[in-house]
Order: sequence, then C-alpha cells, then structure tokens
Amino acid sequence: MKPQVAFFDFTSCEGCQLNKLNFENDLLDILKHVDIVEFREAMDDKADHYDIAFIEGSITSPSCVERIHDIRRRSDVLVALGSCAVNGGVNAMKNLHPIDEVRETVYGEDKYLFATLPAMAVSSVVKVDYEVRGCPMTQQDFLKLLIALVLGKQPPKYGSPVCVECKLKENECLYNRGMVCLGPITRGGCDAVCPSFGQFCTGCRGILDNPNIDGMLEVMTSHGISLDEAKKRMLLYNSNEVQL
Amino acid sequence: MECFSLLRSDVPALIDHLGDFGEVIAPHGKGDVSYSFEAVQDSCDVVLDYNRTLLPLKKMFLPPVEKLMGFSLKNESYEQVDVAITSRVFFGVHSYEMQSILRLDHSMLTGSAESNYFKRRQSSRFVGISFEPDEFHFSESVGIVIEEMEGFDLFLNEVDGDFQLYVLTENGQEMLNGFDKINITEPEIVEGRHFKKKIRYHYNRLPRVFQYAYHSEVWADVASRCVGCGACTLTCPTCFCFDVQDEVEVTAEDGIRQRSWDSCMLSTFAEVAGGENFREKTINRTRHRLYRKFKYITDEEGLPWCVGCGRCTAFCPAGISMPDIVNELIQEDEKAQYHRTVRV
Ligand code: SF4
Ligand code: SF4
Ligand code: SF4
Ligand code: SF4
Repeated sequence: MKPQVAFFDFTSCEGCQLNKLNFENDLLDILKHVDIVEFREAMDDKADHYDIAFIEGSITSPSCVERIHDIRRRSDVLVALGSCAVNGGVNAMKNLHPIDEVRETVYGEDKYLFATLPAMAVSSVVKVDYEVRGCPMTQQDFLKLLIALVLGKQPPKYGSPVCVECKLKENECLYNRGMVCLGPITRGGCDAVCPSFGQFCTGCRGILDNPNIDGMLEVMTSHGISLDEAKKRMLLYNSNEVQL
Repeated sequence: MECFSLLRSDVPALIDHLGDFGEVIAPHGKGDVSYSFEAVQDSCDVVLDYNRTLLPLKKMFLPPVEKLMGFSLKNESYEQVDVAITSRVFFGVHSYEMQSILRLDHSMLTGSAESNYFKRRQSSRFVGISFEPDEFHFSESVGIVIEEMEGFDLFLNEVDGDFQLYVLTENGQEMLNGFDKINITEPEIVEGRHFKKKIRYHYNRLPRVFQYAYHSEVWADVASRCVGCGACTLTCPTCFCFDVQDEVEVTAEDGIRQRSWDSCMLSTFAEVAGGENFREKTINRTRHRLYRKFKYITDEEGLPWCVGCGRCTAFCPAGISMPDIVNELIQEDEKAQYHRTVRV
C-alpha cells in the first residue's frame, strides 16, 4: 500500500502549502508514490493514522499544542515544513517583546479573549523527524525529502552555509556590492537563490549549528550597518535560534 | 626564445586568430567589480587588466558541480558520463594561476590519474599575461614572479601599455603561424611592478615555522573572526577536495551521481559516520587550511601549495588575510627563538 500522507497547517501565511499546490508537473508522479489523505487547502478528509504528517506553521496557542499532540499520536513520521514550523520563523519575532504587549497590540481590548503562547518551532512541542527549511520552502527541497522517504533513504541534510552554493555559481559576493548578506551563517540548500538574483540573504533557512555570532556581527557592522540593524537582520527569521 | 611586439589594439585580432586552435577561454568582467573566466564570444569583451577572477581557472578542469554518472533504480544500471576531449586555448592567464594548474596536475594526475580531469586537461594551450599586483597578491613570496612563464605556450608582457609577446613552445610557435600583426623585438625588463603584500620569510623557511606553530595563539584569534563560510577554500586554485552525492528524480526511478567542490573550512567536512567530527572547532579548521598550504604537502613536494593569488583574502567577508597570518606566526616564532637564545 502506498504511504498515507497528510498536511496540516498552524500559524503561518500558508505560502508553503500553496507552493505544494503549484507542483503541476510533478503532482502525478508524487501521487504514484503516496496517497494524500488530508490537505487543508485542497480537500477535507480525515484519517486515524498517517504514515507521514507534514506540518506547516508554528505553534502559538494552547489549542495548537493540543492539536499537534493529537497529530503526532496518529503519525509514524512527522515532518516540519517551512521556517515557521522548523524554528518559529518570522512569527518568533514576537517572542522578543513581552507577551502582554504583543496581545495588546494585536487584539487591543479583546486581548483576554485570545489565549496566546510564544511562537514555537513544532519541535519544541513534539518530536520532529525531518524538516524542510525555507520561507517559503521550495518544491524542489520538498520533493527531495519525499522521494527519500518513499525510497527509505536518509533525506539530504544541509550543514553548509549559503555561501557555498553562491561561490560554486561564481556569483559576485554582495559584500563587494556594498550589501550585507547573511549567507555565511545561514543554512544552505536553496542554491543561493537570493544572492544569485542580487538580493542579500535574509537567513530564511535558519542559522547553522555553532555559528560565530560575534564574528558575523563584526562582519556586518564593518560593512556599514549599525549593530542594531545587524542584530535585527539576524533575528528576522531566527529569533528562537540566536541569543543576542 | 623569440619575442615580438604587439599593440594593445591588436590583441582582439590575436584572440580571434587563436580561435583556430580551439575554444578560447579568457577573463571577462562580472558583476560590478569582479572577473571570471568565460568562453570568448566577442574578442573585444576580453579584459586584459584584471586583478583576479572569482573562481580560479581550475573550474575548467574540475567543474564546481559535475555529473559523474546517471543511474536507473528500476533497471539496476548505470551509465558513466563520458567527458569529451576538446581543444581549448586559455588566454590571459596570470603566472600564479598557471602555477596553480601545474600543482593541481600534480594532485590529480600523480598515481592513478583522475580521468575526467585528465581528459579536460589534455589539449589545453595557455597564453599568459602580466598583471599589476594589488593589495592582495603575494605570489612573489611563494616563488612566483609576475613574468614566470613555466607552463605557458605564449606570454604577453605589458610594456608601456602595449605588449611583448614571448613564444615559449612549439605549440606557441604554431599558434602564431599566419598572424602578421607582430614584429620581432628585443625582450625588455619591465621595472616598477611591485608586490605590495609580502610574507617576511623566504618560502623555504616556512615549513620550519609551521613545525612549531601548531599550538600558536594566532589560531584562536583567527578563529574568533572566521564565520566559517568556506569562501577562502572554495575560491582557492590549489584546493581540490570534493563531495559526491546521489540524487534521485521525482519518478523515484532514475537519478544522477554528482560531485561538487567541498571545503575543509566547513564544519561538516570532517564529520564521519556516527556523528564524530575530527575537526570540530573553527580553530582546528583554520589551522588545517594553512598547514595544507605550507606544511603537509610542502614537506613532500618542496613547494608551498599556495600560489599567492590572494583570493582567500580578497573574498573573505571577515577580512582574514593569509599572508598576515603567516607573518604573525613568523613574528611569534622569532620571539620564541629569542627567548630560547637568551635563556642559554
Ligand atoms: S553574496 Fe552572500 S551568500 Fe553569496 S558569497 Fe557573499 S555573503 Fe555568501
Ligand atoms: S538565500 Fe537566504 S533568504 Fe534566500 S532562500 Fe536562501 S536562505 Fe533563504
Ligand atoms: S591559499 Fe589563498 S592565496 Fe594561496 S593559492 Fe589559495 S586562495 Fe590563493
Ligand atoms: S573566507 Fe574567511 S570567514 Fe570564510 S571560512 Fe575562510 S577565513 Fe573564515
């Protein structure tokens, strides 16, 4: 029997889900390997058991916590999709402010009607087996993981910075164009798509293991931005990962 | 050795002429302030004055990413990629770059030759060009002067804006047959081109410095600034490490095996099965990089494995300078020697 897979979304912009629906050319190939039993954007079936559950979005409320536990209980393999799910992503910027202030800003007088938690990675609440990084995640990356799981192989792991792919493409480094780029400490795997189009890396795939944060801040400030700005750039996607 | 004069304005005609001997590859402008070796479409686009290309000429023999074979899981079969041997002329190559290719030849062809490299390397002709050293070049300190002509078939030495063209091999001779824009001349020594960056010791003293530098405090200082991006090694013309990976297509039936450049500055480089990492810290990796250039291979081959192109320094976002590190090690070594002598 083909593996039963399901997709769920939590706090996110649903950009990753939409990216999956854009598969067009590959969708039929994918459906040869798996049965999609739940897909919020596309259908409304429910099942008791999933071979693979794909989770998009971060965990931001008590009801999210309950729901993710329930999904985990029914799933053999659980995969976090996209930066919100993997490390909290941009949502986690709210964790830099007192939670009361955040509630007040968003809900005003009604703040007591909405329970909220700091924005958390899925892995902060339940065990996550695999991850697909990026904001949004790319189809290519998602397909690589899916094929690896279907074949029973280890999905690719990305332990090198964005600079590696950038260098291999022989891009002119954006630091030479007066820009400040997070490529050196950002986890690669995106084929350095942003620098290749002249846009500095904002760190959407997360920070590498054991980064030299002080060294990176020094690199950024010595290329013309303030320490405050450098920290903000670093935190954009990584508030849960970097302590500044 | 014959020497001819050649006007700068006639260089495009020479490049066009060289096209008879194969695809001409030459430096071109890239981005705002950079250069890269590309196949010549229009000889007028070729840049004659450049500091260094982003990637070394190595990329033409050992591509950054290279498909090695295709395989089919369904049929349990594979097909190796057959690299075609084509004639190519590499034009406008600096002396340190040529020296890096000769070192790379040694690394890739000694013992059992790396066949893809060998095929791409065959049928290559090289036309060198002189350059004005910038603040990063230091090749003279590793024994490579601007006019070092080893490995070249032809060499263009700039004299007052125009060129002197040296003919160095029979191939070079052949490449000039029928080209009439040159006149025989007396070779001149060019004065006034100086290296701004230098290593303080002659390179043959460096292995000894490195012998005692393993526990130097310099490494910790470098490691505190290094952000581990790998730029230094990925742009180095004598680095040759690569990684091999298999990728299966979405059909789950076919796939490819490809090889891509790797770098010992990346934290994952020395990770092995079981999760062990034998160069876990940045300090281990920084040190390793310099030992690879000035000690390990040098002990065996008698030559520094750094050609002083300055790429690792020019492209390091943290401004970490290879010759500065070596000079700091020298200084530390001198201090240590002084103390040893004084005590005696
Ligand atoms: S542009 Fe960014 S990713 Fe590319 S090499 Fe420079 S710092 Fe690294
Ligand atoms: S370059 Fe940086 S911001 Fe752009 S996709 Fe890659 S990791 Fe994300
Ligand atoms: S170590 Fe640096 S200067 Fe030496 S050859 Fe490599 S990139 Fe060039
Ligand atoms: S280029 Fe500089 S910062 Fe990057 S790994 Fe090399 S020494 Fe470290």
